[in-house]
Amino acid sequence: MKNIQEQEIDFAGEKLVLTNQRALYWPAENTIILSDLHVGKAAHFRKSGIALPQQVATRDMERLRDLITHYHPEKVLITGDLLHAGMNSEVALLKDIIQENDSCKFLLVKGNHDRLSDRAFEELGIRILADGYAIGNIHFTHGDRQFSAGIHSISGHLHPGIHVAVGRKSTMRFPCFVVSDTQLILPAFSLFSGLDTSCVPEGAFCYAIYEDGLFAVSC
Amino acid sequence: MSISVKKSSQTDGYAIITRWMADKGNQPFSFQEKTWAAYASGKSGMVVAPTGFGKTFSVFLAVLQDFMNQPEKYRAGLKLIWVTPIRSLAKDLARAMQEAINEIGLDWVVDVRNGDTDVKRKQQQSKQMPDVLLVTPESLHLLLAQKARNKFFKSLRCVAVDEWHELLGTKRGVMIELALAYLRHNYAKLRIWGITATIGNLDQALEVLIPAPMKGVKIVATEKKKIDIQPVYPDEVEVLPWAGHMGGKLVEQVVPIILASKSTILFTNTRGQSEMWYQLLLEAYPDFAGQIALHHGSIDGAIREWIEDALSEGKLKAVVSTSSLDLGVDFKPVDTVIQIGSSKGVARFMQRAGRSGHSPFEVSKIYVVPTHSLELIEVAALKEAVKNNTIESRDPMVQTFDVLVQFLVTIALGGGFRPAELMTTMKDTHAFSYLTEEEWSWCLFFITRGGQIGANYEEFHKVVENEEGLMVVTKRRIAMLHRMNLGVIVSEAMMRVRFTSGGYVGMIEEYFISKLKAGDKFILAGRVLELVRIKEMTTYVRLSSGKAITPSWLGGRLPLSSNLSHFLRQKLARSVHPSAKEQELRFLHPLFARQQSFSHIPAEDEFLVELIVTKEGYHLFMYPFEGRLIHEVMAALMAYRISRFSPISFSMAMNDYGFELFSDTEISLNEDQLQSILSAENLMEDVLSSINSTEMAKRKFRDIAVIAGMVVQTFPGAQKNNKSLQSSSGIIFQVLEDHDPQNLLLRQAYTEVFNQQLEEPRLQSAFKRINTSKIIFRFATGFTPLSFPIKVDSMRQSLSSEDLATRIRRMQESGGRPGKRR
Repeated sequence: MKNIQEQEIDFAGEKLVLTNQRALYWPAENTIILSDLHVGKAAHFRKSGIALPQQVATRDMERLRDLITHYHPEKVLITGDLLHAGMNSEVALLKDIIQENDSCKFLLVKGNHDRLSDRAFEELGIRILADGYAIGNIHFTHGDRQFSAGIHSISGHLHPGIHVAVGRKSTMRFPCFVVSDTQLILPAFSLFSGLDTSCVPEGAFCYAIYEDGLFAVSC
Repeated sequence: MSISVKKSSQTDGYAIITRWMADKGNQPFSFQEKTWAAYASGKSGMVVAPTGFGKTFSVFLAVLQDFMNQPEKYRAGLKLIWVTPIRSLAKDLARAMQEAINEIGLDWVVDVRNGDTDVKRKQQQSKQMPDVLLVTPESLHLLLAQKARNKFFKSLRCVAVDEWHELLGTKRGVMIELALAYLRHNYAKLRIWGITATIGNLDQALEVLIPAPMKGVKIVATEKKKIDIQPVYPDEVEVLPWAGHMGGKLVEQVVPIILASKSTILFTNTRGQSEMWYQLLLEAYPDFAGQIALHHGSIDGAIREWIEDALSEGKLKAVVSTSSLDLGVDFKPVDTVIQIGSSKGVARFMQRAGRSGHSPFEVSKIYVVPTHSLELIEVAALKEAVKNNTIESRDPMVQTFDVLVQFLVTIALGGGFRPAELMTTMKDTHAFSYLTEEEWSWCLFFITRGGQIGANYEEFHKVVENEEGLMVVTKRRIAMLHRMNLGVIVSEAMMRVRFTSGGYVGMIEEYFISKLKAGDKFILAGRVLELVRIKEMTTYVRLSSGKAITPSWLGGRLPLSSNLSHFLRQKLARSVHPSAKEQELRFLHPLFARQQSFSHIPAEDEFLVELIVTKEGYHLFMYPFEGRLIHEVMAALMAYRISRFSPISFSMAMNDYGFELFSDTEISLNEDQLQSILSAENLMEDVLSSINSTEMAKRKFRDIAVIAGMVVQTFPGAQKNNKSLQSSSGIIFQVLEDHDPQNLLLRQAYTEVFNQQLEEPRLQSAFKRINTSKIIFRFATGFTPLSFPIKVDSMRQSLSSEDLATRIRRMQESGGRPGKRR
């Protein structure tokens, strides 16, 4: 099995497993939850004449495939920005994965990048969930809109990252999960994405992700 | 070769031009006459002359004379392209040229085309080109990217490249080489003329501008600019000099100099320093308010333009500036220049001195204000270098594939090219004279298929072959993106700074602002500003007062040139017995006496190493005098080699004179071991083991990726259009490292690290020198005058050879949670 490191946390009274592959696993529901895959981003760049290697896309899809092989989930739930810019050749790679795992359900809360019609997603084998869809008392939303306070939510959208001091003078940036009492923000799943290091709220806990694992940072 | 000045001086053109000059009270310098004669005989070449002697007119008037002597050979349309490195130069130059043309009685039109020119004007030009067009390297390439380019250049007779020394050694210089090669091959009779100040490698400069088989003449003015160098002495010598500490104190002595002059430019080395000096001057002499101004790269363009105009008109008593005023039009009223701190190089120093006393026979007066007392040695060294006219070389860049692939798209855009033909053209440049067939195919593959890796490229249509076998760009969107991003200047991500009440202050690096939160105060454009909010790449501020942070701008620290460091070592060696003329050295006598008695003053053939033990721990100092960048590499190398004897970890500090390795555990080193760590053997292998070259290459790749069009640069204001195309060069770098290690652009990043960051040739020669020197190893229990400024330098870095995982484990084990940068 590929490099998957885990970190268990309690959130909204549930046990969730954060992984260094920028996705989380919910054992009780046998569900993988992830966000911001931006499938087709590299292809979109190439359409504009920007030369990007194919591996940018295939890497992400290989990681998704590895996660599914590892956890054998019943559901894969995506909190938005699954597709970067409509249909293109790279979306076929995603379609392959969906077809290979016909016993697994692929669910999507649409994000600001998911501009395809619900029907087009259905044809890919993806079921669209309403914004704020809940499993137990955890609600799922993309994260680009305000969500009423006090409700436990899991979202993406922000591509959270954090600066960590690694010496007296230097800092490094890591993608991270942001966890507060009511909110869990997922890192962007795609490796081909930037980081926003200013979105971490005061008092939240971050789980920074690096090659070989995760570590906690309090803010 | 001989140029018949006599023959050309009998022509009508010559008579008209010299009469016009005489009317203005001028007489041609002999280098001007030589240039006219060479031009008249159809030659290309390069004029070398100090600023203020009319080198512009040497070439410009040559073209006018040639036209007047044989107007039948000239057709309607663009006849002369004049390339200047900076936009602000173009406007005034165009005015002067048009004035001359009008007074001489010709009907030629001079016009400017660059990033500041409005669209309407550009369209007019495209319909009907002026006779003379002033461009930047970027706007010249943009002309080549136009479909109608053949129409533009059909009457072209000459391309002149002004301030060639500024372009040589940069990627913009390579842009010029490529454009000239293209024009030469398509318009056979074209003459090329360069204009340059003196640099160390003039012959090479000529060869790069006008490569064989073409032959260029080099015309060197015998006239010399006189420079008067005056150090500003502190009241007393600090025997333990502290970098940056002293400068501010000297403001009391700087004020009278400004008051005694008509108009003064104060040059600083960083934007932070210029902001500080602006404040210092206002505090020391409040009446300066309204009479002095601040000029640097982050200040709004319109304000800068206003300052430049006010300076020309003599309305300002002084301007504090950075290198932003190094180049540009003459400010006639300026009669004094003050250099704050080291100028780091002879060429830069002379350039800056030349900004005062601009007319040919005036003396340029420059005062040097040391920021710590050791810099007075530098004044002595500068005097020596200026006397001997030993000026730094500018090494031309070669094999810059990022510029080449950009140029190929440019040419494809403006009507297309045939690969075989263009390859011959490109091989005629200095930059790509060693271009191989494989490299060329790679570049073509890159622009047509997007690169070597991955099979599925059906969407990629940057450049395609059309039915006629021409390589062209067909998609509008690709054309637009390319034009918008053309050029090789890659800037830091910048943010606009605006007042909440409206009004624009300037630009500031995004990384600086990202560290601030609302309510924090910082200094920009001489004002204390309070951060209110950040919205869409704009920082909103309000005026404030009190204590504030001065931003430290990236890239502010220039290293010492090897030229100057040579003279520094020489002067230091002589400091024991200075001659009567070497006043700076005599003044520093107390400092040298202390250095001599506590340690040693290295002679020219000696290399000094000091081991100083204090309560804090063990400090190992070495003094190669090779500049900060080289010292950074050397310090890492020394640390690596010492740790091979026994494991030990260091923190490092460095300045332009030397470096320090500090450890709290004992550094045990005998003379033999010292010899062996200073050995030139396995030099580059050890350097590579001691530094993280991948990390360095990754940083270099950032610019390369932008120039090659793999990353779309963000422009403030325009970023919305390209938002879905933003990506990070770091990610692409990683993928290429993993999957396409032979990628030429990736290899180029490593080459740039070797040539620019590690300065391999300079490093090699430094070690060769150290190896032939006598190594003097001294122990002391207190800091010496040479070591103290390094010790207190704030740019301290710690060296860690541990990988990231180990570092994180260590952070976790140490119990403390890792700190977070705000």
